[in-house]
Amino acid sequence: MRAGVLRAPSPLPGFGLSFGIMMAVLSVVVLLPIMALLGRGVVIGPAELWEMVGTKRIRAALSLSFRAALIASVFNLVFGLLLAWVLVRYRFWGRRLIDAAIDLPFALPTAVAGIALTALYAPNGAFGALLAPFGIKVAYTQIGIWLALIFIGLPFVVRTVQPVIEELDREVEEASATLGASRAYTLRRVVLPTLTPALLTGFALALARSVGEYGSVIFIAGNLPFQTEIAPLLIVIRLEEYNYDAATAIGLAMLLISFAMLLAINIIQIWSRRRIGDV
Amino acid sequence: MFIEIEEIAKEFGSERALHPVSLSIPSGALIALLGPSGSGKTTLLRILAGLEFPTSGRVMFDAVDATGLSVQARRAGFVFQHYALFRHMTVFENIAYGLRARKRRERPNEAEIGRRVNRLLDLIQLPDISSRYPSQLSGGQRQRVALARALAIEPHMLLLDEPFGALDAKVRKELRQGLREIHDTTGLTTVFVTHDQEEAMELADLVVVMSMGRIEQIGKPSDIRTHPASEFVRTFTAA
Amino acid sequence: MSEVSSIARTPSVTTEPRLIRTLLIGTVVVLISVLLFAPLIAVFSEALRQGWVAALESLTSPDARAAIGLTLIISAIVVPFNAVFGVAAAWAITKFDFRGKAFLITLIDLPFSVSPVVAGLALVLLFGANSWLGAWLIAHDLKIVFAFPSIVLATLFVTFPFVARELIPVMIEQGRAEEEAALTLGASGWRIFFTVTLPNIRWALLYGVLLCNARAMGEFGAVAVISGKIRGETTTMPIMIEMLYNEYLSVAAFTLAAALALLALVTLVLKSLLEWRYADLLAATRRH
Repeated sequence: MRAGVLRAPSPLPGFGLSFGIMMAVLSVVVLLPIMALLGRGVVIGPAELWEMVGTKRIRAALSLSFRAALIASVFNLVFGLLLAWVLVRYRFWGRRLIDAAIDLPFALPTAVAGIALTALYAPNGAFGALLAPFGIKVAYTQIGIWLALIFIGLPFVVRTVQPVIEELDREVEEASATLGASRAYTLRRVVLPTLTPALLTGFALALARSVGEYGSVIFIAGNLPFQTEIAPLLIVIRLEEYNYDAATAIGLAMLLISFAMLLAINIIQIWSRRRIGDV
Repeated sequence: MFIEIEEIAKEFGSERALHPVSLSIPSGALIALLGPSGSGKTTLLRILAGLEFPTSGRVMFDAVDATGLSVQARRAGFVFQHYALFRHMTVFENIAYGLRARKRRERPNEAEIGRRVNRLLDLIQLPDISSRYPSQLSGGQRQRVALARALAIEPHMLLLDEPFGALDAKVRKELRQGLREIHDTTGLTTVFVTHDQEEAMELADLVVVMSMGRIEQIGKPSDIRTHPASEFVRTFTAA
Repeated sequence: MSEVSSIARTPSVTTEPRLIRTLLIGTVVVLISVLLFAPLIAVFSEALRQGWVAALESLTSPDARAAIGLTLIISAIVVPFNAVFGVAAAWAITKFDFRGKAFLITLIDLPFSVSPVVAGLALVLLFGANSWLGAWLIAHDLKIVFAFPSIVLATLFVTFPFVARELIPVMIEQGRAEEEAALTLGASGWRIFFTVTLPNIRWALLYGVLLCNARAMGEFGAVAVISGKIRGETTTMPIMIEMLYNEYLSVAAFTLAAALALLALVTLVLKSLLEWRYADLLAATRRH
């Protein structure tokens, strides 16, 4: 594209119409509401916002949301890699069923997931009753929150890493073996570095999703302030109290986390494209 | 190393890639496996490297049975058709890979690794590219780096799968000479696979013509030209 | 296929030892059963705890019927709207080169990483009583927040990227040559779109629509914030599930949940069928 030209000339028609529809919908549906949130933040003022985010209950909720999302996403990073590897490389009975089921958390409404997990892990539930004799409580504790977030974040790493494993060049692994490397060394030094950008992207997507997750968590969390109260729930509570300023403060903090995640994903992609290129 | 292939056969499912074939490769020879695609030449090469295992038959290295020996233990320097360079590693790291992958006891120290890599870069006449990534190299440079990487492990033999297949005609001619020189300096038993009869005839001491999983003829290039053993050999080498 | 089967049978240098393979497969099967299959089974078994009759009866209550109706209407509005947006966005982004394209794609993806609750909050702030827009709307007797329009807007926000996200990679892969060829043959813009572009992207489009629909019918967080949860009026199926659950009407809650779970299963089956039959055409979508 030449400098100073906003759009490269193209013989194809429909730029005005399609670009117009895109920008109009994007503005009304996404940008305007986000602007309203940011605008409200400006009206409240940074000092005030900072003070509200600093209050104990909000800080506890934000830190819980972030910590639980981090724990769940790390689990999903490891388990997602394992799943993707097994699904692509191994042949076994039921593989297609599991492959299809990976997307269940995308398709199943979060509220449904929430009540289902609670029914299973409540002290009188099928799994809850099994764990109770060992003194392990899942529902209404932070473990329940981790579980719900693991559920909803499960597909992200699998689905970003799977196509990369499919396209791995087997010759490269063979080359490593002919050079004397053990299978473990090959996996660590040759396969893993190739998967790293996709792994990080999937991890960031899962993290962004689980930090903001609401529906599946609130049923199983118990929702005790300072202990099992996640940030999105606190937004809902503040809104119900008509405390819009506090809700805005939490919302902005979470929006900041989302932006940081998006930025991270973009940086990972640029970095991997630059480093690996194509051979 | 003196290589003997005794009645090697290979089946993939119900498909027969190699009928029992036998072949002796004298130590230090430069051998071409020549044939059209599907003739079993690459399968034979991969069996020598330990990347495939034969359905029946034996492979002997210096009169010792090596049929079940793992690929890692064989120390066969292998150059892949598309080179299979590690694209997240620099040229230096690619060549040093096999040395660093060794068990700690057998691993040379970093200074020694550096010396060996630089010596190999000199050998392939590319002394200045050690910090580049494979994506920044030309096709011919990649091929030579793959060769240097295979030589770095001090292999017992050198195996090359269509080493010039992915290159254009001009570079191909130059690199042919390069391979001959490297063979002569290292003295390694070298086997390369090709479908190009001119390449086989010009470069190899001994040419093995293969078709449909069988060996049609083994001989010096001049003998194959003047006394083709079968109609197939005659038509395939007459180009 | 012959390559795959040979790997399964003979020792291969590019796979792990048999024992490790078995161990990993076992881990995957157990974890997937516990994490995914068990909750799904729980939904249906809880719904049928008092038998089919009780379950089906709970679906016929006026509130449940109103919730089902509302959810269907919402998705009937949101899905076509997002399909049109998705196609327009994909056309603009893949058929033309302009400045700031990468940034625009990031903006389209934004709803994926914003919490639905934050989306709901943003809409409340935009249209609520104490914003100037909200005040103006109230003065003109237009109700958006805690009413039908806001549920539509909230659902639009969270399902916004689905169709565009499926189409963009497929259309990038296909390039512009076919459209340009049609152009040289004298076809008009709409004709090119319907006879050249649409047939090429129809499976990806269907795929995006399926995902968009599943999310539209199941959205909870954003709708929970903005709907006001007025019984029989602004309660969608997921909101109704929450209300019933909190009222300890377990069978009714799980029956409604089972209906949505069935929808999810149908979505997954259709999606898998599409992937298996049109693997090549959808290959690009999986790559993003």
